Amino acid sequence: MAARGQRSAKRRSGCFLVMFSGVKPDKRSKVKGITQLGSRSSSSSSHSSNSNTTRSNSSSGSGGSSSSSSNNKGGGCKSHSGSSSGSSSGSGSPPAGTPPHTQMASHESLNSESKSSSLNSKLGHESMTVRDGSRTLRPDEPPLVPGEQLEGTAREVTYLCPYVGPKKGTLSVTNYRLIFRSPETDPPFELEVPLGVVSRIEKVGGANTSRGENSYGIEIFCKDIRNLRFAHKQENHSRRMVTEKLLQYAFPASHKLPFFAFGYNEQYQERGWSVYEPIAELKRQGLPTESWRITRINEQYELCETYPAVWAVPAAASDNDLRNVAAFRSRGRIPVLSWIHPESQATITRCAQPLVGVSGKRSRDDEAYIQHIMDANAQSHKIFIMDARPSVNAVANKAKGGGYESEDAYQNAEVQFLDIHNIHVMRESLRKLQEVCYPHIDNSHWLSNLEATHWLDHIRCVLSGALRIADKVESHKTSVVVHCSDGWDRTAQLTALSMLMLDGYYRTIPGFAVLLEKEWLSFGHKFAQRVGHGDDRHQDADRSPVFLQFVDCVWQILKQFPHAFQFTEDMLITILDHLYSCLFGTFLYNSERERIEKEVKTKTVSLWSLILSNKADFENPLYSANTKHHVLFPRTSMRHLCLWDKYYCRWNPSMRQQEPVHIRYKELLHVKEQLEKHVDELRKELAARQTHDSPRVASAIV
Amino acid sequence: MNSHRKGTPSARFTTYIDFEEINDGLTTVGETVPLRPIDVPEETNVDEEKIEPHLLPGEIMIARANNVLKFAPLKANRTGISGTLFVTNFKVSFVTSLPVETKERDMHSRSLQNRFLGVHDVCLSEVDMVNQFSEDSAKKKRLLYNTQMPPRLSGLQLVLKSLRVINFSFKFTPTGEDIRVAQALLHHAFPTSIDHLFLSCGYAPSSPGIPDFCRPADWEHELQRTRCPNWRVSKHNEFFNLCASLPTVLVVPRDLLDAQLEQAAQHFQGTRPPVWCWGTPAGAALVRMAQISPSITDNNDNPVARVPVLALQAASGFLVGRTGWQWAERGLHLALEEGKPSHSRLSVSKSVGSNMKKRKVDEASQQQENRMMGLVHRCHPMRLQPKIFDLDQILPSLKEIQISYIKLRELHTPDDPTQFWEQDRHYFSRLESSRWLSHVSKCLEVAQNAATAILHQNSSVILQDASGCDLSAVISSLVQLLLDPHVRTIRGFHCLIQKEWVALGHPFTKRLGHTRNQVEEQSPVWLLFLDCVYQVSLQHHTALEFTSEYLVALWHAAHCSLHSSFMFNSVSAKYSASDVLQRENPQQPIYLRPVWSWWAENKSIIENEQNGSDEEPLDCKTSAREAFLNVHYIQKLFKSLAISGAVRRISDPLSSAYHTWQHIDCLMGETRQLPYDPATPIVPLQLDGSLRLDTSLSNLRPWLNCFCAWLSEPAMLTLNDSESLLKDSSPASHHWSHIHEMYNTMKDLLSQNLTNGAAQ
Repeated sequence: MAARGQRSAKRRSGCFLVMFSGVKPDKRSKVKGITQLGSRSSSSSSHSSNSNTTRSNSSSGSGGSSSSSSNNKGGGCKSHSGSSSGSSSGSGSPPAGTPPHTQMASHESLNSESKSSSLNSKLGHESMTVRDGSRTLRPDEPPLVPGEQLEGTAREVTYLCPYVGPKKGTLSVTNYRLIFRSPETDPPFELEVPLGVVSRIEKVGGANTSRGENSYGIEIFCKDIRNLRFAHKQENHSRRMVTEKLLQYAFPASHKLPFFAFGYNEQYQERGWSVYEPIAELKRQGLPTESWRITRINEQYELCETYPAVWAVPAAASDNDLRNVAAFRSRGRIPVLSWIHPESQATITRCAQPLVGVSGKRSRDDEAYIQHIMDANAQSHKIFIMDARPSVNAVANKAKGGGYESEDAYQNAEVQFLDIHNIHVMRESLRKLQEVCYPHIDNSHWLSNLEATHWLDHIRCVLSGALRIADKVESHKTSVVVHCSDGWDRTAQLTALSMLMLDGYYRTIPGFAVLLEKEWLSFGHKFAQRVGHGDDRHQDADRSPVFLQFVDCVWQILKQFPHAFQFTEDMLITILDHLYSCLFGTFLYNSERERIEKEVKTKTVSLWSLILSNKADFENPLYSANTKHHVLFPRTSMRHLCLWDKYYCRWNPSMRQQEPVHIRYKELLHVKEQLEKHVDELRKELAARQTHDSPRVASAIV
Repeated sequence: MNSHRKGTPSARFTTYIDFEEINDGLTTVGETVPLRPIDVPEETNVDEEKIEPHLLPGEIMIARANNVLKFAPLKANRTGISGTLFVTNFKVSFVTSLPVETKERDMHSRSLQNRFLGVHDVCLSEVDMVNQFSEDSAKKKRLLYNTQMPPRLSGLQLVLKSLRVINFSFKFTPTGEDIRVAQALLHHAFPTSIDHLFLSCGYAPSSPGIPDFCRPADWEHELQRTRCPNWRVSKHNEFFNLCASLPTVLVVPRDLLDAQLEQAAQHFQGTRPPVWCWGTPAGAALVRMAQISPSITDNNDNPVARVPVLALQAASGFLVGRTGWQWAERGLHLALEEGKPSHSRLSVSKSVGSNMKKRKVDEASQQQENRMMGLVHRCHPMRLQPKIFDLDQILPSLKEIQISYIKLRELHTPDDPTQFWEQDRHYFSRLESSRWLSHVSKCLEVAQNAATAILHQNSSVILQDASGCDLSAVISSLVQLLLDPHVRTIRGFHCLIQKEWVALGHPFTKRLGHTRNQVEEQSPVWLLFLDCVYQVSLQHHTALEFTSEYLVALWHAAHCSLHSSFMFNSVSAKYSASDVLQRENPQQPIYLRPVWSWWAENKSIIENEQNGSDEEPLDCKTSAREAFLNVHYIQKLFKSLAISGAVRRISDPLSSAYHTWQHIDCLMGETRQLPYDPATPIVPLQLDGSLRLDTSLSNLRPWLNCFCAWLSEPAMLTLNDSESLLKDSSPASHHWSHIHEMYNTMKDLLSQNLTNGAAQ
């Protein structure tokens, strides 16, 4: 511990090497370090519009940066140009810390006489990366986030961008990310990748076997749907050092090193760790009631080590009953309340599969417990047990001691299977999706290739499953018990999504944080295992994009109900970026218990600190708060789903991203404000004049 | 899931009891869904007698069937509504006293034919297919106008051209009425001749406020507006003696004499000479041209040995298509008859690549074609080479478009929820295999190339397709949409369609299958064009003054026989149909109503609709206007007023702010008239660059608004009308409220004459 303390102190001092003129270092570096992930995506999208369209009217907007853009496009690369003056000429400079993409809407596209506004706003994207004004940095000294330390630098490295071709520059490795800067273009071409996203690193070409230019180097496979290739010069002998450093910091867990999150010491206004208090959230839902109680039976994580410390359970079940039920449920994950309908008291409870086995074992306690859950809701004399799996899989699980509830044993219960496939199927599907999206898209077979990945098919299954749960609770006032095999993957997707549909609170920014903290983190979705944080076993069969799939589902709902969410897709992308980045402690480790053990709350920063401190950047201007009391039933047919290209295809400049409506809405508000200002000025001016002049007859207008 | 698993296609039309059983199966929780048709048999006959459809002047009721159940397809709980079904010579009318579904009401309020069609009415020419469900077989069977009728029909399914399916059940209909209705429907929905359709309703239409491009002044106006030099208006087609598919007025090269025009026309298909349709001040013209007629004389000749020059041409193997034609040194040398010294000898060649379809052309026709191209060349002030786009080579054929459309129709008109979900699983690959989007992509690409040629190379573009009135209309319209800001306004778009599609004679009757003849000629070129415009609107949100909703409405409007715009093969066909009608009804005035009149009309012709009579027609209009007007376009207009100083200049008629405000006022104003005054002075064409399109398939989107306009997802859920449920509201509603506020602020300011004072 002491050793680590020293190290981080060292790092902190290291970070002050970075000096910025005019802005306090901490503030500045926050802007850079934190928003980069989000901003990179938007900046790459800005390049995309220009790269494959030869602009016909060069007169549009954004002055000098347009020339640089053509040189600087490509795979998630960021360009810094020298001056920030261009981006904020019209209307006051944007607040620091605002992600550039949101600034863009209000400034750039307003200032240009737009011939075609979407074109201009794309250009706007570009100029918004122009932000770090007059920085006094040497080219190979990238700005670092607090706690970040330069570990190694290799010169004369070539980045082989699949879209714009090779770029020569300097590759630096820090304990947090890799930074590639190419001074070849002006402004310099820059690529920053947090090492957390690295899935595997491979050397390309041997010392004696490599022939031809750029055939000797490394290839980095990332978790965020892209691969990076760097070519080294053999005679520089830089590859070995880079590879070593990369391996060490990309896979700290495999090298017995701490995650970078433990060294990151940014200060935020908001404390993200306090966004979710289990008791407070249960109280918000109206607990305890006469039928539901709050218990701390799992305070020491003894009854169930993957569950949180605080549970809400039927009041009719004693602690002893809970212990007995735990024995009959896989890994002790007993049915615990996720959500209760404020009026009908119909509930969503979640658990793992019952340990029925081949012999068809029964548990009176478990049956009674399910009956208690049903009885807690006076509105209905029936209860649904939603098994997320395909029925074949549920049956097959009997051989492993698991299974599903038989309707004979559980009176008044109806078991339904939701046909969602397991983590291995999902992983394979995402792999196929990546093949289709990256690096190049086969246009002639785009739709059928997309369909062949089955990614959207799986999304549809999850969404319609969640919809069915929400419908049972909302329309039929019936309680639903949800489980899959272990109750931490598909179950988390289903409960969280149906809660999102049913309860408008979860569609606010803090509410969404609570939803993730509660349904995903505290109930033990194995983030470490599924993402493989800091682990070099890239072929680990436990990895699976379950959480990504959930966020995709959220995006699909958001797309269908643009007014019902307080946040925009930018927040979802930021969350996904930091799912991999290991900058924040939020998604580290597998369960609440492990996080307590590792003192994550005290030693790392929460992702919600970033999001809540920069709330304005993620706010959806279209949000209308009265949708909070409504229930969302999204359409789940294939034709109404679409690929989230802003996420999956963001590195691909040929994929044209639609300008989101909320950007145009922001522009509208700005236009309105300007117009009203002008009108007011005119009124005042006239009022002043009329007091001086004698009244005269004004001629008619219009 | 339950619902669609249990619902088989046959179940719907078996017996009445079955509906109840299905419902019981569905409502597993115990509550019963009230069955609306339950009261049907009890309804008294006295009431039934009173029910009549609303008939327009001249409309005749032909058949009626009582106690019919109407089903929206894909409804899990199978609630039909009962009423009386009428077939008139204009529409299929379903009259019921039961409330209308929200979806139907919405669609009705956003249709351009809601002035004379009620919520439950369907114009006969919209009927695409009629299928029957008979009692003894579960399968549906298509009924044609000459099909032998079975003794009894248990149900009738109408598949409409707007990709909508309506089912009627005759379970409780008195015997005989079902057959009579079906026969009347089949007879009148598929007439042998266009003048058998109900084309005129006896009300004089409001002035559409746009030129119809049948008068010389309209074309002269267009020439002045575009300032395209060296072209002239010819009235040589005054009695359609030159070409039946062209209007009486055409724009031809200035140097072309009428006599030469007549001579040249004979050599083109449909005797249709090349015509100018648009141009730029710099001199680049957009010309549409038919292919030359296949030779009649030398059918027996060996084409290779026939004309040495042609052989030479074929050997030279010019590139076809987007690279256009080239001046060929090895090609034909052709002297133009007029002896202009410097340009008297033009070496012109129509490229004949080896990949071209073998077309038998005789030398004279070839010469005429080359001559016409030479004239287009000479019209260019800088004598730049025109580019030829041989659309038959580079775009899908009409047949292919029709095949795609049929696949598209299959994909969007499922019979029951099972089929819907089965299709939905493979929606993307089926959509791709229909190749519809790839056709759209090709059209956009060609249009983009043509626009680039005009804008950046300043070269004239000749669009050539077989008849000169199908794909050339698509490309020509798109090129203008990309280049001409006027065309992106509603009025400009109306003008464009009137010019390129109506006046220049797109054969709507044939292509949309308004009559039962020439079925093999059907091809929804019009829909293809609208889909292309939809893609433009997607990629450029603020560029078009109208929304994609309006495009959907235009597609639907093309199937209503009272809209004369989309009914005829040509202007001359319209005149002759009008003559026929006038001869048949000498007493009644004949009014052919252009679709654009909708904008000028406030009131519904059907005064008292049985349902929803309490609804204010004006409200309906407002919502339709908001659905048709692109709020982002108006936002762009306001944006230009929000720049500093603009408000101050707003009352100065010479300022751009003044014009912008006039524009906004037209769109938003109380008058609710056409968005423009017909007497608007000529605003010269200002080329301000081209809209850039991304035509790759991965960046095109299926037009769900149109294809799924009537297809709602079959409900998997039992309860859909809960009050707490958030209905998806129009995403533009937020925008509209602010736009209205801004408008009112400005209006308020101007009403106080404040700007006038400030300006002084």
